[in-house]
Amino acid sequence: MTNQKHQFDASPVVVEDLAPALRLSLRVKPAHRETLGRALGLDLPTRVGSRAAANGAEALCLGPDEWLIVAPEGTDLASPARAAYADAPHSLVDISDREITLRLSGPAVLDLLAACCPRNIAAMPVGAAARTVFDSATVILWRDGPTDFRMDVWRSFAPHVRSLLTQVRTEIAAGL
Amino acid sequence: MSRYRISGKGRVDHSAPVSFTFDGKTYRGLRGDTVASALLANGVHLMGRSFKYHRPRGAVSAGSEEPNALIGTSRGKGQFEPNTRATVQELRDGLVTESQNKWPHLSFDIGAVNDRAYMLFSAGFYYKTFMWPKSFWDKIYEPVIRGAAGLGKSPTEVDPDRYASRYLHTDVLVIGAGAAGIAAALSAAQSGADVTLVDENAEMGGSLLSDPAVQIDGKPAWDWVEAQLARLRAAGVRLMTRTTAIGYYHQNMVGLCQRLTDHLDNPPANAPRERMWRVRAEQVVLAQGALEKPLVFDGNDRPGVMLAGAAQTYLHKYGVKVGDTPAVVTSHDSAYFAAFDLADSGARVAAIIDTRDAVRPDLLEGARKRGIQVLSGHTVTTTKGRLRVKSVRANPVRGTHVGAGRDIACDCLLMSGGWTPSLHLFSHTKGSLGWDAGSNTFLPDRKTEACEIAGAGRGLWGYEAVLADGAAAGLRALEGLNRAGHSAAFTVANDRPGTGVTHTELPTDGNPGKAKAFIDFQNDVTAKDIRLAVREGMRSIEHVKRYTTNGMATDQGKMSNINGLMIAADALGKQPPQVGLTTFRPPYTPTSFGAFCGYLRGDTFQLTRKTPIDPWAEANGAVFEPVAQWRRAWYFPKAGEDMHAAVLRECKATRASLGIFDASTLGKIEVAGPDAVEFMNRMYTNPWTKLQPGRCRYGLLLGEDGFIRDDGVIGRLSPDLFHVTTTTGGAARVLTMMEDYLQTEWPDLDVWLTSTTEQWATVALNGPNALKMLKPLVEGVDWDDFPHMSCAECTVAGLPARLFRLSFTGEVGFEVNVPARHGLTLWTALMEAGKPYDICPYGTETMHVLRAEKGYIIVGQDTDGTVTPQDAGLDWAIGKAKKDFVGKRSLSRPDIVAKGRKQLVGLLTEDGSLLQEGAQIVLDPNQPKPMKMVGHVTSSYQSTMGHPIAMAVIEGGFDKMGETVFIPMPDGVRKARITSTVFYDPDNARLKA
Repeated sequence: MTNQKHQFDASPVVVEDLAPALRLSLRVKPAHRETLGRALGLDLPTRVGSRAAANGAEALCLGPDEWLIVAPEGTDLASPARAAYADAPHSLVDISDREITLRLSGPAVLDLLAACCPRNIAAMPVGAAARTVFDSATVILWRDGPTDFRMDVWRSFAPHVRSLLTQVRTEIAAGL
Repeated sequence: MSRYRISGKGRVDHSAPVSFTFDGKTYRGLRGDTVASALLANGVHLMGRSFKYHRPRGAVSAGSEEPNALIGTSRGKGQFEPNTRATVQELRDGLVTESQNKWPHLSFDIGAVNDRAYMLFSAGFYYKTFMWPKSFWDKIYEPVIRGAAGLGKSPTEVDPDRYASRYLHTDVLVIGAGAAGIAAALSAAQSGADVTLVDENAEMGGSLLSDPAVQIDGKPAWDWVEAQLARLRAAGVRLMTRTTAIGYYHQNMVGLCQRLTDHLDNPPANAPRERMWRVRAEQVVLAQGALEKPLVFDGNDRPGVMLAGAAQTYLHKYGVKVGDTPAVVTSHDSAYFAAFDLADSGARVAAIIDTRDAVRPDLLEGARKRGIQVLSGHTVTTTKGRLRVKSVRANPVRGTHVGAGRDIACDCLLMSGGWTPSLHLFSHTKGSLGWDAGSNTFLPDRKTEACEIAGAGRGLWGYEAVLADGAAAGLRALEGLNRAGHSAAFTVANDRPGTGVTHTELPTDGNPGKAKAFIDFQNDVTAKDIRLAVREGMRSIEHVKRYTTNGMATDQGKMSNINGLMIAADALGKQPPQVGLTTFRPPYTPTSFGAFCGYLRGDTFQLTRKTPIDPWAEANGAVFEPVAQWRRAWYFPKAGEDMHAAVLRECKATRASLGIFDASTLGKIEVAGPDAVEFMNRMYTNPWTKLQPGRCRYGLLLGEDGFIRDDGVIGRLSPDLFHVTTTTGGAARVLTMMEDYLQTEWPDLDVWLTSTTEQWATVALNGPNALKMLKPLVEGVDWDDFPHMSCAECTVAGLPARLFRLSFTGEVGFEVNVPARHGLTLWTALMEAGKPYDICPYGTETMHVLRAEKGYIIVGQDTDGTVTPQDAGLDWAIGKAKKDFVGKRSLSRPDIVAKGRKQLVGLLTEDGSLLQEGAQIVLDPNQPKPMKMVGHVTSSYQSTMGHPIAMAVIEGGFDKMGETVFIPMPDGVRKARITSTVFYDPDNARLKA
């Protein structure tokens, strides 16, 4: 997935750009959740922040009627969704280009995130995700491992976020 | 070895000398010293001059509450800091320091003339003296006063240091690592809770570091501290030194400022100087201890007069004897121990002057054993000495009678007026305070946050009591987390319990009106100032504070508040709680701006959004302007062009052939679902039911009040799908407003909103050659059925696209939306394909001019939140047959349909001059002032038609077509004719081309 890597010497945190993926915003009322989930082959989770994966696609519950679906590019979820539209009216919007995704990892990654994110990231379970802020930018943060995160950032906010990440990585490298 | 350093004593490293300079002179201190302790070790008490009277001053404390010993410190260019407390700044090699508020130098200061004229400079002096003549204030009084006063010098260079920020979530935050704080942390840490212990000093241990003879559980105090800190570390407790809790905010949010490099000889490259921690704690334990109070008597500010506890700290922490022949004046038992410890270290204590008649027998015995005379029932009436105290005058007191005094020679005077619990952080929470009449002090009362207060901070005294209280507080914090722990008990030997009494000014046989008995050292407020304030009518302590400036210095009255209150209460004949205590506000101690800024400086000062096409604009010399959070290309000047020339060229090129514009910042919202059209009908003024898929319409959005909120072109891509565009600045607001209606008013509708602003990069093409140029690049559009105001999903230059045919310029126009990653590719392809047509990139200024020539409004520029569709000439956009839409009812309110409302019209100046946006408009320029203003200019530009154009809102403007109005400007009155807002191609002939 990785297509670009900014590896600095002996840095305890690594920031990488991930290659584009299919990213969809799904909105459907709770009554039609199961129907639509069946059509998409995903058991749409109901607790905000929880995730479910199937067939290479992953759904994150962001609200009572809102899911974010990520799948490899080229995956066709639009057709099965369209077929179920009459039974389970919904909105499925392609937002693949709205955000870019960074992978943040390494032993000091929690410090990196705690520099700009007010949420208690350390308490976030592995396998969970959350919509939060990084400084003043809205982001979605996925915890894939104890020191392994993905961060979806709205494209226009990315220069600001990248600049902050660089500053904090430099600070962490200084060791104080 | 420095003259006053005791060999081998203290916690400083006697094998590690550190050299530094003070006012250009080089001194040697030891690793572990503060600037103050190192200067005192060298016999230097004079460290600065006071703010108003420029009186010579020395360190009065040994901690962060220091009001006097403020110095400038510097590490290098841009790294000068004024008002650093010498009692806090740790020594580092090569540290450069200087005293403040002196000229030409510290021991002889011209400004000290203020001191001799002190009778003039009493409280309220500025208010009374500089009242007349009024015109003198701005030009003479204020500049002179500002020049003479001021605390230190402001830095003038850019600060090259880095500052960091960090969020922290913890179960228990313990503030203060003295006896109580350590005991609390030990309790809290025992059940696996996440515990953080912070202390503002370089070392943890609090007053135990100044009381090494105390034994806890059989261990000497220092060994005990070391062992407990090791236990805490082993239990995973986060220990943070040099970390000041500066503020206590809502829901247990505490701000911590951590000093990282100021004490280091050579800080690591790129290390931040300070880090601001924003801590969210489940439970907070405040164990901040108590601050010693000065006594109030004439000459209590002379260098060499200091708090007794401070002398004890200098002795035990730093191995510094503050003098050879100290005298002590006290109203509290604690000062005896300072006297005893100094005597035991070789000082000859001249006398202990105790204001109390009866003294504890064991203290008298301790004094007798050391040969120290105790003068009980005595007062101090003055001190002598110019730059350092030489003697103190002690007088016996019998009832209210002050007997004859005698001068006692001394080289320093240690005072103790008792101890004030540190209530600052508790006060930040708006917790209420209760007056404790027994100890004459305020104590924490009703809490508003999940916090515990332990130890001397709630008025306890003696280590055994404080340790037990800290342990209990830690346990209560655990219980607050629904965890359990064991209670701990500590046995203390050689404890130093004590009590005392509280005074106003000490009694004197002199004229109290002439006494320079200081309360607030930094602001030079004396007891007589407080009494004067009361005599002049101040009743509330808040008024007394502002009139005298008592407690308004950078130390925020840490030493002065209670003394000031006691004296004000005495003058008013009231009990202290009836007079009240002023409010403590964050930060607890002065905090650098850098720590507050953190990363928010330089290119991360403020979030700046950039479009996918921004790199091209930057590479091609665009001048940018901020629009909402975005930076947008404003215009693209060619060599030698100013803004006016560039914009005119861009406008003409677009009207003549072809212009290209980055419109990616336009807000975009996908409105999808079976009820999409119903939702659109309810939100927007326009009718949407009959809009066919593949067609667009201009949409107008109102608030409930009927005033214009936003607008944009909206395309219907399928029966259930609308592509809504909003203004750049309105994107988030419009989405929020729509969501609000959807969730609170119409939850029954099956429709959903998704922000797609950033999904699409949007490029606008405008000009008579736009269609010709674009056609060959497009696949999937039936051009025979793609008139003005159409939309389609297709490909452009091989990229998946949503194509809109619309115009914001009056020329044939298109907006091409492609997925954002392709934005730059599309732009480059269009620039290439446009070459034969001399395609011209243009910025927001040209966009503004071209739209204004057509009379297209910009929401937020030509509207201001009080403009209705009728006022703006947009009645045509209202679906008259619609049952309802947001704002419909308001449009028929009497004042909305009344005559004489301001209406949007065009303006052409008679002399062809350019009007200023915002300029006010009158009907009769010869009327007396203040003139009746009937409107103002909203937009004004040089146009492509050879003359400037303007839009304005004018009362009853629609009925005044062709009439003349006047615009008074500083350089003369302009005449302008009211016209239609459509200046260019009123028949829209060019759109149909």
